[in-house]
Amino acid sequence: MSRLFGMIFVLGGLVVALVGLGWAFYLLAGFLAVTFANAGLPAQYGAVIGNLLTLLLVVVMVPGSLLSVAERKWSALIQNRIGANRIRIAGSSLGGIPFLVADAVKMLTKERFQPDQATRFLFNLAPILAFAPVFALFAIVPVGPAVPLSAINGAEGALGRVAIALQVASPDAGLLYLFAIASLAVYGTSLAGWASNNKLALLGGVRAASQMISYEVSLGLALVGTMIAYRTLRLEEMVVAQGQGVLGAIPALGILLQPVGFLIFFASAFAETKRAPFDLPEGESEIVGYFLEYSGMQFGLLFLSEFVEIVILSGVIVAVFFGGWHPILFEETLRAQLSPLAFAAIGAGAFLGKMVVLMWVQMLIRWVLPRFRYDQIQKLCWKILLPAALLNIFITAAAVLVDPSLRLLAGIGLVELVAMGAITAAVSRAPKAAHGHADAHGTDHGTAHAAAGH
Amino acid sequence: MPYTVDNRPANFREQMYFPEILQGLKIAARHFFKNLFFSRDANPDFLERDRSLNWVATLQYPEERVTYPPGYRGLHRLVPREDGKPRCVACYMCATACPAQCIYIEAGEYADDPVEKYPVKFVIDEMRCIVCGFCVEACPKDAIRMDSGEHAPPSYDRAAQIWDEQRLLRGPPISYQNDPWLRRGSPSISPEKLEEMRARARPFPTVATDEASQTPGFSVRALAQEAKERGEGR
Repeated sequence: MSRLFGMIFVLGGLVVALVGLGWAFYLLAGFLAVTFANAGLPAQYGAVIGNLLTLLLVVVMVPGSLLSVAERKWSALIQNRIGANRIRIAGSSLGGIPFLVADAVKMLTKERFQPDQATRFLFNLAPILAFAPVFALFAIVPVGPAVPLSAINGAEGALGRVAIALQVASPDAGLLYLFAIASLAVYGTSLAGWASNNKLALLGGVRAASQMISYEVSLGLALVGTMIAYRTLRLEEMVVAQGQGVLGAIPALGILLQPVGFLIFFASAFAETKRAPFDLPEGESEIVGYFLEYSGMQFGLLFLSEFVEIVILSGVIVAVFFGGWHPILFEETLRAQLSPLAFAAIGAGAFLGKMVVLMWVQMLIRWVLPRFRYDQIQKLCWKILLPAALLNIFITAAAVLVDPSLRLLAGIGLVELVAMGAITAAVSRAPKAAHGHADAHGTDHGTAHAAAGH
Repeated sequence: MPYTVDNRPANFREQMYFPEILQGLKIAARHFFKNLFFSRDANPDFLERDRSLNWVATLQYPEERVTYPPGYRGLHRLVPREDGKPRCVACYMCATACPAQCIYIEAGEYADDPVEKYPVKFVIDEMRCIVCGFCVEACPKDAIRMDSGEHAPPSYDRAAQIWDEQRLLRGPPISYQNDPWLRRGSPSISPEKLEEMRARARPFPTVATDEASQTPGFSVRALAQEAKERGEGR
């Protein structure tokens, strides 16, 4: 029982910490904006530098590296194990978090080996090319709403009207920037495979390239529906639009308007992260993978970019499909009762909380599903996701054309969600064998073990 | 029991992927939350664990150890008499029976008792021992047992795996009514001690059972722990 209360306490502390983190981000951005304005520079520059530090280094890198520990501990919990706990500090394993330090020390102190006759320049460039684009993706994700500077630290006059949002950049191209940068990541993996002067690494790189280029298509098409529905490419405008009510008080969340688009985008983006069930570019038993010749921190970068991709993917999905920084529950009450800064901090906390949940879901999927075969991956992309995405675009466009208030689209989405729920709930287990040993291997617990095994 | 694997093709609902994926996620999430929110039953006897709330089956080995079953052949010991001397009469039956030839015995006689033999040296090379238990079977005096419930402890040098009579002679003493030194008396045992031993002696078992070859509750680990607590660490 003490563990139950402790876990509830930890989770509650996490929620409070996320809100406090959002608050601190706003304060830092506001402080830097005022500092820059006093130095005669545009205040927005200060806010951008603050956001660069907080969002890219804290929101992306810290969860990205913590996920490497989380993967061990969470997979252990899913498989009825305990997980890494042998590094003890004062008798406590601290949830395995000290392993982060151990891993970092190990990666950084290992030899950086280069194979003979590898293409030196590209070999060294590839981990950077794999990591940097993923990292840059988070620039357009709006973590918190825009708040006037006067509400943050009481700046006056024209300076007080400068809007500070927790978003590094807000280009007009918005989602197009996302597609452009996301497709750059394929260079890192394919170059890593090619420059290693190793047949198996080359195979891994080719697999990665073909998989990522294929899924790029359905990834882009899956978001076209949301672009049509919200009539914008900018993520922050999409998030604002998701706060408006449609179908009465129900907000126009992306998951409500575009459930099929969400599924397609989630699957495609999952394939982009190159993790199970889409981990074909790596395969210990056949080709090892495009990072076969890498060691030390160069391997660490390739390894880490996977986890960073999970974080980015969660951020984009939260912004596009799950209402971004809208707390959704009690939103009007909070907005009316609290100061703009406090509301914005709660919004940022809500965004980060949703991100954590989505990261957890991605880990869960990774430990539930076995990997596809290579032809199945391409079949899933070209024969299922792509036609479904195209159909989704046509239906969305038609629904928006018929009813620009989005009510029809929301109605269609609601019907789709209910249908998905009904199909999932209607459990049709395989018919039990007739000759009397059905209960020997058909219990719920047995199937649970079979499903959790990897 | 053999059973046939049902390899029917997937039906339409299963071909849609997502319903079954969501079902799988439900199962995995149930495992996750149960194991996250509830504490583990750390009973070393893991089959007896209460797994209603937490399903973790891990045994944290160095801290938690399974107790071995009653018939387990563990580290040898030389069974002592009540007066602290070994029951062994240096008959070489165990050394003869040993297929690995890991037992070395040098026989000697008690100076005051020319009838009785005893092992001056009784050495078992635990690295050569194949833990077959033939020595226990061969012993006519129930002087060697493998009831410690422990395997040979690891060591950094081979010499530490060679156990001599000082290390082997340990554990609870045993006396049987047909022990020759009890029936005819021995100058090496004082008369009062002899009376006490005769009173405690048990009938010699005619049927080999686990109870006969095992001492309930005895373990080398417990003995070592007691010695440690008394401050006799070696």
